[in-house]
Amino acid sequence: MIKFIIKRMLIAIPTMLTIIFLVFLLVHATPGNPFQGERALSPEVIKQLLHQYRLDLPLWKQFILYVNDLLHGDFGLSYKFLGQSINALIFPDYVGGFWVTLRLAVYAMIFTVPLGIVFGCYAGLYRNSWFDRLVVTCNMFFSAVPTIVTGPLFVFILAVLLHVLPASGWGDGDFKHIFLPVFVLTLAYAPTVAFVTRGSIIDVLNSNFIRTARAKGLPTKSIIFKHAIKPTLIPVVSLLGPMFAGVLVGAIVTEQVFALPGLGILTTNGATNRDYNLVLGITIFGSFLTIVFNFMVDILYFFLDPKIKQ
Amino acid sequence: MIVGKKISAVINAPKAKGFWQNAYRRFWHNKFAMASLLLILILALLCVFVPMFSQFSYYKPDFTGSLQSPNLVHFFGTDGLGRDLFVRSFIGGRITFEIAFAATVVVLIIGVLYGSIAGFLGGRIDSLMMRFVDVLYGVPFLFFSILLLTLFGQSLMLSFVAIAAISWLDMARVVRGQTLSLKHKEFVEAATVCGVSKWKIITRHIIPNLMGVVVVYAALVVPNMIVLSAVLSFFGLGVMEPMTSWGLLISDGSQNMDSWWLLLFPAILMTSTLLAFAFVVNGLRDALDPR
Repeated sequence: MIKFIIKRMLIAIPTMLTIIFLVFLLVHATPGNPFQGERALSPEVIKQLLHQYRLDLPLWKQFILYVNDLLHGDFGLSYKFLGQSINALIFPDYVGGFWVTLRLAVYAMIFTVPLGIVFGCYAGLYRNSWFDRLVVTCNMFFSAVPTIVTGPLFVFILAVLLHVLPASGWGDGDFKHIFLPVFVLTLAYAPTVAFVTRGSIIDVLNSNFIRTARAKGLPTKSIIFKHAIKPTLIPVVSLLGPMFAGVLVGAIVTEQVFALPGLGILTTNGATNRDYNLVLGITIFGSFLTIVFNFMVDILYFFLDPKIKQ
Repeated sequence: MIVGKKISAVINAPKAKGFWQNAYRRFWHNKFAMASLLLILILALLCVFVPMFSQFSYYKPDFTGSLQSPNLVHFFGTDGLGRDLFVRSFIGGRITFEIAFAATVVVLIIGVLYGSIAGFLGGRIDSLMMRFVDVLYGVPFLFFSILLLTLFGQSLMLSFVAIAAISWLDMARVVRGQTLSLKHKEFVEAATVCGVSKWKIITRHIIPNLMGVVVVYAALVVPNMIVLSAVLSFFGLGVMEPMTSWGLLISDGSQNMDSWWLLLFPAILMTSTLLAFAFVVNGLRDALDPR
């Protein structure tokens, strides 16, 4: 067990370092410095700024200092909002930044996972029924059509035509404001979970140990709940780690659709203002999350699937 | 002799059909896939010809006729600056398709070469090359694309080539897997024995036999790139006014929902294209990869 975790760590850490190195190099390879052209700053001020942002040091020194900062959980300073630290932008004291994105993603996952698993099992158990076909069709539709199309369409129907919900904004995070974004996100991801569960339970129900259980005369209920559920969930669990990372990214996109004050707006601001440090910080934070989720899923997988232990 | 002729006329043995002929026949009989392919072709033709022959231009504002709902002159209505949405939709489609296809070509070239080289050489080089792919998998794709667009913002094509340069990972993995299974086939071993160089074996014997899988994956990359370009439009990156793309049109339409046509027509165009691609991918998979 501990050996397994250490092995995973040994893969995760170099991966993270390589990503940081690649992204860092890419950003710092751009010509010019970020303080040119904006307002006419006097040479002394620019020199002072370059010093403050460590841009006067050689690149390798900058990199080492940057990694050192990252190890202390510090993403550095924003180029645009002079002197403001990126941590304060990503994790603000008020509602916004990562907190909005995280809440959206967590709410969406809370609905996505149980709904997906239950619908998937049901579709798999009653294969070729109308419900099964609905699940398959939904999977096809929603994995082809992204939230940036479905989102505005739902807003158009529910907010503009029927006037039941507000079209956009966070409000104070109340149900009415948060319902549509979460709903759109859930619709985007739940069909995939359902589809994977469906395929998995169909495989499991055709396997030998289920046939044995049936031959022994066990009632269907206990076959499903005692024998079939656990192996059914294994492929689903391996889906969930990348999916939560995906939902976080999806949440950022959905924020753009609904004009919510999360990481999405921050990224847009960073991108349009050429605030490289901010975009760099968000990118590295995003890869960190992806790697952490994959790591956690590997460990969960270890507990669920006895075959891995060997 | 006469008997021989008679027999061959009676038996009329079926000719052995090649892989591509079989695939073509299977695809032809898949009604959904054929209809979808037809739809994509029609849309592509419209994207080429509508902006060419329309009496309206996509960029000239006409403030006397802004926000007209769809009518016989402006089939899709006009936008806030009085520009004809019908023309704008198809010029946007043109840009969207151009970006998607350009990116797909880059993905194809890098992915196929990288995957087949890694798979064929094997050993330490292979594990090193695939390790690099694993690392790139950890990069959050959307953020990286945003970063690239911020850096290469001036040139749209350049930035999409850069984005394509990080989205060949799946392609490389699939191609490598397929190469591994081809590597020990008789015809490759025969070529090795004859002293054909490694590069020639890869380009002449491995890659042509990979094409089935590659075509399916390429058909998957195109809609992904369409979606990505649309998502980036929502972040205010990519195509800039007065040029437009489906993503930009949908984004603009969702800002101004009282004029429903601004949202609905681009959304319908994009949805139908994406669904059509999904059906084509399914059809191709059934046709080229029968199991």
